[in-house]
Amino acid sequence: METKIRSERAQKVIERMGTKLNRQIVTSLAGCVHCGMCIESCHYVLSNPGDPTYAPVYKADQIRKIFKRHYDWTGRVLPWWVKGKSVFTDEELLELKDIVFGKCTNCRRCSINCPMGVDYATFNRMARGLLVSVGIMPEGVAVVSKDQWEIGNQMGVLKEDYLDTLDWMQEELQSEFDDTSIVIPIDKMDCDVVYSINPREVKYDPRTIADAAKIFHFAGENWTMPSEGWDMTNFGLFSGDDELGGAVANRVYEKTSELRGKKLVISECGHGYRSTRCEGPNWGGVDVPFVMESSVDTMLRYIKEGRIKVDKSRNKELVTFHDSCNNARSCGLFEEPRELLELVCENFQEMYPNRSENFCCTGGGGAMSMSEYTNRRLKSGEIKAKQLKDTGASIVITSCHNCVDGLTDVIRHYKLGMQVTQLVNLVANALVVEKKVIIPSIEIPVPVLEGEFAGRKILVTDDEPDFVTYISTLLEDNGATVIKAYDAEQAFNLARLEKPDLITLDISMPGKSGIEVFDEFRKDKDLRSIPICIITGKPELRKLIYEHPDSPPNGYIDKPINERDLILNIKRILEVGHHDQVSAKNN
Amino acid sequence: MSDLLHFAEHTLQEVALIIMAIVYTIRIRWLLHFKAGRDRQAQTGALDTTPRKGILYSLAVIGMPWTMESTRNKKFFYFQFVLFHIGVTLAILLSFIIPYFPSLLTSFKIIIPIFQIFIGAAFIVGCVRLIRRISSIYIRSISSPDDYFSLILLTVWFGFAFFAVPNQFQQGEGLLITYFFLTAFFLIYVPFSKISHYLYYPFARFYFGKTMGHRGVYPIRRESKQGI
Repeated sequence: METKIRSERAQKVIERMGTKLNRQIVTSLAGCVHCGMCIESCHYVLSNPGDPTYAPVYKADQIRKIFKRHYDWTGRVLPWWVKGKSVFTDEELLELKDIVFGKCTNCRRCSINCPMGVDYATFNRMARGLLVSVGIMPEGVAVVSKDQWEIGNQMGVLKEDYLDTLDWMQEELQSEFDDTSIVIPIDKMDCDVVYSINPREVKYDPRTIADAAKIFHFAGENWTMPSEGWDMTNFGLFSGDDELGGAVANRVYEKTSELRGKKLVISECGHGYRSTRCEGPNWGGVDVPFVMESSVDTMLRYIKEGRIKVDKSRNKELVTFHDSCNNARSCGLFEEPRELLELVCENFQEMYPNRSENFCCTGGGGAMSMSEYTNRRLKSGEIKAKQLKDTGASIVITSCHNCVDGLTDVIRHYKLGMQVTQLVNLVANALVVEKKVIIPSIEIPVPVLEGEFAGRKILVTDDEPDFVTYISTLLEDNGATVIKAYDAEQAFNLARLEKPDLITLDISMPGKSGIEVFDEFRKDKDLRSIPICIITGKPELRKLIYEHPDSPPNGYIDKPINERDLILNIKRILEVGHHDQVSAKNN
Repeated sequence: MSDLLHFAEHTLQEVALIIMAIVYTIRIRWLLHFKAGRDRQAQTGALDTTPRKGILYSLAVIGMPWTMESTRNKKFFYFQFVLFHIGVTLAILLSFIIPYFPSLLTSFKIIIPIFQIFIGAAFIVGCVRLIRRISSIYIRSISSPDDYFSLILLTVWFGFAFFAVPNQFQQGEGLLITYFFLTAFFLIYVPFSKISHYLYYPFARFYFGKTMGHRGVYPIRRESKQGI
C-alpha cells in the first residue's frame, strides 16, 4: 500500500489524466510492447548515443507508468510487475516536465516508426497539458501562453504595432513599384482571401508580409488582412492546453466569419497551419464554415492558373527543402512545396530522408521558447546538421517560421554557412512584374535623398571590430550617424553621453553576460527608453524575447546578418518611412 | 494416454480458453468505454488519400517492412519478428491439432517438420531477444518484470512445443503434459500481460491510420536516394 502523502498538484495531475484519456490515447498507452523500434527514429537519441533517457519509449514510459498505476488493470493490482508508478511530489512533476518539454519536440517521427501504432507525440502533448494545468511548465511557455491569452498573439504584438507594420510594408511596396494602387487591405468585407500570419513576421521578419502582399496584389486577388484574430499560431499545440488552443483558433475563425471571408489563407508556419487548419476545429469544438489553405497552395495555384508569372532564373543558387514536422508528418503537406520549388528555383537538391521521414529542425514543440533547454536542443541538432550538410546546398527553404529559427540555430552552431528562407521569399523574388510605361514629362527637380536614417544616431556595440565596421558602413550608407563601442562598459558610457536613437547590441561579448548587459540597459532610468536591437550569434539568448514580456528587445537579428534584414529591422524600430510620411502629410 | 494428459489437453485448455475469452471481453468493453476522439477538420494532403485508405494502410504496415524506416533499416530484426510470430501461431495451432485433430499429424507428415522448423526458429529468436533485452542499455532501461517473464515464458513454451509436435505420448507424456499446462497458464496470463498487445494492435492502428489517412500522410510518400 502506498502511504506517502501526495502533493495537491500531483493529485490533480492523476485525476485530470482520467478526463484526458480517449480511446486513441489509451491504446497508445496500453499497446506498447517495449520492442524498442522507435529508439533510432528520434533525433535526440541519434545525437546522444548511449543515453537511454532520450529514447521515445523511455520518455513515454514516464507518462505510461502513471496511467498503468491508476487506470490500467494489472498496474493497479501489481504495479511493480508492469512498472506502474504514481507521482507524489512536485519534484517528480518537475522531472516529468524536463522530459515532456525538454526532451521531445512532439515531432511524431517515432509515431510513424512504431509497428504498434503508438502515437507518443499525442500523449506527450497530453502530459504537457496536465502539467500546465497545475502550473508546471518552462517559463517561456508560461509567458508566451499568457501573451496569447491576454494580448491575442504569442509575441505580445500590440494592435497599433501590427497595423503600423502593415502600413509601413504597404509604403515599402508602393515605393518599390512606384505604384500607390498596391495596398494591404485591412478588414475588407466579403473578400476571397483573408490572410493570417505569424506574429514573428510582424516583429522580426516583416519582409515576408511585404512579399506575400506583393504576390496577392500582382495575382489580382481580392484579399484582406484582419485587424484582430490575425495570429494563426497557437501555443495550445505546444503547451497541451486545449482550452487555449480552442480560444486562439476560434478568434481566427470568428474574425474570418465576421469579415465574410471565403477562404482563410495561412502563411508559412508549420504549427500554425496544423493548429488552425487541423486541430483548431477539434479544440474549439466548431465546424469551420469556410475553406482554409496554406499560402503554399495559394502561391502554387496562382502560378498554375497564370495569375502570376515567375522567372526561376532569378533564384539560381542551389537550394534544399526542409519539411516541417507539423506540415508534413501531421498534415500531409509535402508535395505542394516541392512543386512550387520546381517552378521558382533553378537548382533544387532533395534532402534525405524527406517528407514525413524528415528530421525535426530541433525547434519544434515550442522548443524555441524554452531557453533552459537550448544547449540540449542544439546538441540534438547533430543529425539535422549532417542532413543539411550532405545536400551541398547554400540555401535551406522551409515553410515554417519555427523551422527558420531552429535551422538558423543549427546552421550557426555547426558552422554550416547556409541561409534559411521561405517559399514566399523565393516566389516574390521570382515574380515577373510588367513595368509601367513611363511617358516622358517635364523634368521636376527631385530633392537629393540624404539616406533613410539621416539625422538618426545609432550606437553599434560589438566586440568584433570587423563586424562593427561592417554594420557601421551599412548604417552610414543609409545616412545614420554611428557611434562605436567595443565592450559593455564603453557602450554604457557612450549611451549616457550621446543619447542615441538606437543601440545595436551584441550580447555575447567578453566580461558581463549578455543578459546582464541587456538588463542593465533596461534598468537604467536614463537609458531604458532607448530601443535596443539584439544582434547575436548565440541562439540561447533568444530567451530575452520570451522571458522579458514587459520590455523585450525591440529587434532581434541572428548572425550572420543579411543586409536587407538589418535595414528593414532598423527602419521598423526607428519607424523610418511611415512616420516621416505621416508627419509630412500632417504638415 | 493418461487421465492427466487427457485433462491437460481438453478440460484444462477449455477452461483456460473460456477464462481468456471472458477477460478479453471485459478488456475490450473497458477500452470501448473511452470515447473515440472526433476529427472535425477537413481533409488535408493528397486528394487520393482517405481515412479508409489510411486505416487499411496502417493495418497492413506490419506486412510492408519497406514502408517504415524502423523496419526498413533493421531487416534482420524484422525477420526475427516474422519468425517469432509464425512460431507463436503454429504453437497455438498445435494446441488445437493435438487434442481435436491428431490424425492430421499422421496423415500429413510434412506438418511435423514444418512446425518444428518454425517453432524451433522462434525458440532461437526468443533467446536472441532475451539477450538483447538484457544487453542493450536502451531495452534494459525500459524492461519491466512482465517483459522478461513474458519473453521467458514464450521461449520456454516454444521449447516444449517443439518436442510436442510429433505427439508421441506413447514414448513419454512429460513433454506433452508440460506443454499443455504451459499453454493453459499462458492463456490465463496473457490478458494481464504485455502479450495482450495484439488485442490493442487493431485499435491503435485503426485510429492512427484513420487520422493519418484523413490528413494525407498515409500511405507514406518518400523519395530515397535511389528514387521513390
